[in-house]
Amino acid sequence: MIVAEHLTKRYGTTLAIDDVTFEVQKGEVVGFLGPNGAGKTTTMRILAGSLGATSGRALIDGLDVFESPLETRRRVGYLPEVPPLYPNMTVNGYVRFAARIKGAVDLDAAVDRVLGRVGLADMGGRLVGHLSKGFQQRVGLAQALVHDPEVLILDEPTSGLDPAQRKEIRDLVKDLAGERTVILSTHVLPEVEDVCQRVLIIAGGRIVASDAIDALAGGERFVRVRVGRPGPELEAALAAIEGVTECSPEGEGRYAIRTREDRRAEVARTAACWDLLELTGRERLEDIYLRLTSGKNA
Amino acid sequence: MRNVFFIARRELEAYFASPIGWIALCAFLLVTGFFFASMVGFFALQTTEFGMSPYQDIDLSQHLVAPFYSNTGLVLLMLCPALSMRLFAEDRRQRSLEMLLTSPVRTVEIVLGKYFGGMGFVLVMLLATAHYPLILWWIGEPDLGVVISSYLALLGVAGSVMAVGLVASAATESQMVAFVVSFVLSLLFWVASWADASASGTLGEVLSYLSMLSHMDELGKGLLHVKDLVYYVSFIAVALFATHQRVEAFRWR
Repeated sequence: MIVAEHLTKRYGTTLAIDDVTFEVQKGEVVGFLGPNGAGKTTTMRILAGSLGATSGRALIDGLDVFESPLETRRRVGYLPEVPPLYPNMTVNGYVRFAARIKGAVDLDAAVDRVLGRVGLADMGGRLVGHLSKGFQQRVGLAQALVHDPEVLILDEPTSGLDPAQRKEIRDLVKDLAGERTVILSTHVLPEVEDVCQRVLIIAGGRIVASDAIDALAGGERFVRVRVGRPGPELEAALAAIEGVTECSPEGEGRYAIRTREDRRAEVARTAACWDLLELTGRERLEDIYLRLTSGKNA
Repeated sequence: MRNVFFIARRELEAYFASPIGWIALCAFLLVTGFFFASMVGFFALQTTEFGMSPYQDIDLSQHLVAPFYSNTGLVLLMLCPALSMRLFAEDRRQRSLEMLLTSPVRTVEIVLGKYFGGMGFVLVMLLATAHYPLILWWIGEPDLGVVISSYLALLGVAGSVMAVGLVASAATESQMVAFVVSFVLSLLFWVASWADASASGTLGEVLSYLSMLSHMDELGKGLLHVKDLVYYVSFIAVALFATHQRVEAFRWR
């Protein structure tokens, strides 16, 4: 559904993205990760059609975004990092305007449907500029969805929102998955594990990983324990468990353990002798992310 | 091209949704109303003074209508940059331009939509001055041709200033900068003919042709020449083309 082939974008002498190549299948929800300034927004803007690439090409549904810009933009709903709102318009007026210029069929129905979907059905008469940040984000999302696009490109849709609003937006995206192809950038890694089937990690303008989350871990698991009586004997005992590849103390009785397969039960049994207090499966994605992006784009 | 209409309509509504439209409309009517009242008073005085003289002929069209609309043109020259300054600069600042650029809309449609939206408001302002000629018909017999060509001249002047303002607005994120740049440029085009006294030959002719004032004066006399219409249309076309190139450049920065 979405194809990026050797995309490169140069701003003056700085290279924003360098030979970015990836593919997203129809119906997939892909998390787009990377440090700030790594090129996420640049890549998304090229796909959405508001920015031209220096070289390479991008295809939406088999159509080149530079050669047939109107056709591809009709198929894409894009929510930029800052929602593109007109604060002096009412929610209804704004979404109607978006529906018109995006060529939505059956205007009234499209506006009603999308306002219901993003939970703004009773907010139609309010001025966009008077809404809270969370509601403004939903208006931005309504703008991206109103013409019923096959592809959704969301640039940090949950940034700056409170936890409840974040969950609402996340649920909405989950709800949209399946019928639509979604690329979603975010800094909140648990969100990606929750919503996305696959991740793309970009660092320093290059794609450094593109795979399902489980595959990225390469079968590795992470466990963290905390014990009441830490000591070198425990460390040795933990390292001796079959399948443990690494065991490193983190202070205050905490140990980070890397295993090949799920060895939580064995780890718990061993640590129990040293007064086990806590055992947690560590954020796998965070570990992978930090490993892949460290040193790049500092 | 339906998109041009949608964008123009949104722009026109935006003027009425923010104070700038209402302030500009009130200021325009206040100043032109003052001009009209004082010029009618002065004209009445002139007629009583010269009315006794058999050698002087005071003509309503030439001594009241033409100077009044010439002054109205000057008011538009100052007000239009305040109307055009927001057209692109505001969209850039609040990031809503990104929505226009990622919608299935051609760049030329965005530019024309913004321009016609602004011109729609100018049209509202000009329609709001319709009572001045009506009063003139009540007190005398102004030449209909002069009134019509005067309005055409105002439309030409406002259209040119709005087009210059559109370029300036697309060139910067700051509405203030857009205002100052478009006002100064328009003023220079307005008075370019003043230099033809000192600049001789071809240069003087070129400056005179470039001046909005000289074309406005011709139209104000009720003389509808193709060259004046060509001047305004080509002036506007050049400015809109420049705007188009500027907006297209947003995609390539």
